[in-house]
Amino acid sequence: MDMTLKIGWLFPNTFNLHGDRGNILAIKAEGLRRGYNVEVFQINLETKDFDPMDYDFLFCPPGEIVHFKPVIEFLKPFNEALMTFIENRPMLVTGTSIGIFGEEIHRDDNSSIKGLGIVNLEVYESHVVYGDDLYYHCQYNGNKMEIIGNQIQMMHVEIQEESPFGRLVYGYGNTGNTKFEGARSGKGIFTNTLGPLLVCNPWLTEEIVNLIEVNKGLPVWEEKRDNSLELNSLKTKVALIEKKESKLIKISER
Amino acid sequence: MKFYCALWLAKILGVAINLVSRDRGTNLPGEKALAIDPSFVKNFKNIDYSKVIFITGTNGKSSTTNLVDHILKENGKKIISNIEGANLLSGIATILAKESTLTGKLKADYFVFETDERYLPLVYAQLPAENMLITNLQKDQVQRNGDPDFIYRKLKEVINPKMTLILNNEEPRSRSFEESSYRSVYYGVERHDESFNKGTDYPTQACLKCHHDMVFDYYNVDSIGAFHCDFCGYASEKTPEYQVNDINFKEKTFKLKGVDYNMPYDLPFMFYNYAGALAICQEICDISPQKAAKAFNNFKNIGGRFEVLKYKDKTIKYMRIKQENPDTLQSALNIMAFDKEEKMVALGLYTLVDFIPHYANTFYAFDCDFKPLIDSKVERYLCFSEHVSYDTANRLIYEGVDKEDITIMDSDNIKEIFAEIDKAETNNIYLITWISTFEKMKKFIEGGHN
Repeated sequence: MDMTLKIGWLFPNTFNLHGDRGNILAIKAEGLRRGYNVEVFQINLETKDFDPMDYDFLFCPPGEIVHFKPVIEFLKPFNEALMTFIENRPMLVTGTSIGIFGEEIHRDDNSSIKGLGIVNLEVYESHVVYGDDLYYHCQYNGNKMEIIGNQIQMMHVEIQEESPFGRLVYGYGNTGNTKFEGARSGKGIFTNTLGPLLVCNPWLTEEIVNLIEVNKGLPVWEEKRDNSLELNSLKTKVALIEKKESKLIKISER
Repeated sequence: MKFYCALWLAKILGVAINLVSRDRGTNLPGEKALAIDPSFVKNFKNIDYSKVIFITGTNGKSSTTNLVDHILKENGKKIISNIEGANLLSGIATILAKESTLTGKLKADYFVFETDERYLPLVYAQLPAENMLITNLQKDQVQRNGDPDFIYRKLKEVINPKMTLILNNEEPRSRSFEESSYRSVYYGVERHDESFNKGTDYPTQACLKCHHDMVFDYYNVDSIGAFHCDFCGYASEKTPEYQVNDINFKEKTFKLKGVDYNMPYDLPFMFYNYAGALAICQEICDISPQKAAKAFNNFKNIGGRFEVLKYKDKTIKYMRIKQENPDTLQSALNIMAFDKEEKMVALGLYTLVDFIPHYANTFYAFDCDFKPLIDSKVERYLCFSEHVSYDTANRLIYEGVDKEDITIMDSDNIKEIFAEIDKAETNNIYLITWISTFEKMKKFIEGGHN
């Protein structure tokens, strides 16, 4: 049995904005807890022989749009492979980098960049930045869960025909005008939730590793993680959300 | 006429505010004046733009401005400066109104202004300075600034071939502005005893020129140090023209251009401020390093980030960090890590309350390396502050701290914080929290709880 989990961390130095390495720490810790070897591979513009199918999980953190073109050029030859990858394998793409995997990135200066077209969405760079908490319900690997996090919104995400990843309870989400947060395509998660999403929401991390186990033909680990600290964190942050002043359109009015 | 009405109103407001409190209202007169005359700052007379210096960037602009102001004044120059820290257009309008005659005439050898990097284009549109120092451009205040490139583009709007730029040699974004200026002067800091490296799982950044990965040989301050790009060759200079070197932490001295200086603050992030200030003084104001050196003997930084409190038999060392700014948190962690004595660490990262909406963001802590701190004899950790204490504790746990060694307090209750400090066996207490909680703690001690 292959007891090694292979994690591909896409462009960690190019895309590094909001403590995103926390997600790698979280997935690694969960893998180790279940007794696996976990190997993390950093993929950058110099990586030779990149093949998405070599990995069990791919993570692409958010980055500055100024670096998108060379990354898209690098990934273009792997378009088909990435599409195949997300059919069954988990991939997490956060923040602005959603645009790379979509159809087109429309910039604030009216220029545009063609995305990989792996998911049917377009993004529109905003002239202003919007930062806030983000709280939503979602379903992944057949299980419903709550997700708490932050969003630093630098673009609108128009998800066209794609399914949203989450249904907002609070937050800006994709456009500030809909109830939708992110997008989900196959097992690929494309979310505006930034930073250590998998640290703050270990129930999602557990589902990702469960899925990896199924994909690799490993028995799904039964012993649940002690998530009491994260549940307390969720509770206190929801309390903040419930009492705080907000200029957002209420979810019920969207 | 609009200008005169605005000027006189600003002057009256300035006097009135000064009577109520000297510490308040540094923006208000300028705000009101700009409401009457939107081109208010542009309309002052006798400003020679070649004598105007902007000091901008993410970290270090206040300290650098304070030091330049101090050195120039010690050398007999008449300076108009916003050392009280009002760094938006309204703050600069306030200080110009205060310093001008009733007809808007100004008289100064130099105008030295700290300028908020985000609002630089607005300030520049009315006050086209021909000199600018850029300290560094880093991740900071993401709720309003988004990412560093957002600010980079703001600065690009302003920088032009008429300008002399004083640039941080060891910060890739700042250094890259060299392409757009008339003249660039570089300053930096030699590798020293508190320079450090981070593990390979801590990301660096992309090269500004070719997008490939940048390599840092070491850091003097987080994200600042000798760098190079193997792909295109973009790199810091080995010995920039103004380099702080021979740093002696024990003797509190350093050298620059062969001149000896006393070091008023032996904190690594201050070394860049020293180098930058000395570069401005020589290159723009013709004050040589020799002449500037004596001013270091009596320099007091306004609004510094480090304070010490005596509480019972304990010493509380307070370090103020900037919100959403991993670099200032990393500097604070490094200072604690370099102290090899037993210590208690009270970590009160906090909900952001700058403007609506407030939000609970501590994700920048994952950019910081806590390992050296954890390896440096910590008796106990206290993670406090409402809504974010669990996340703060989790950051420590992910770095290998045992849950049992952390007290988590989902509140900012001062008495409870002191009760935890009382429990510590060590007298060596480090405190990181926001200024408001710190001020309350200070008052608690001054109120007889000592």
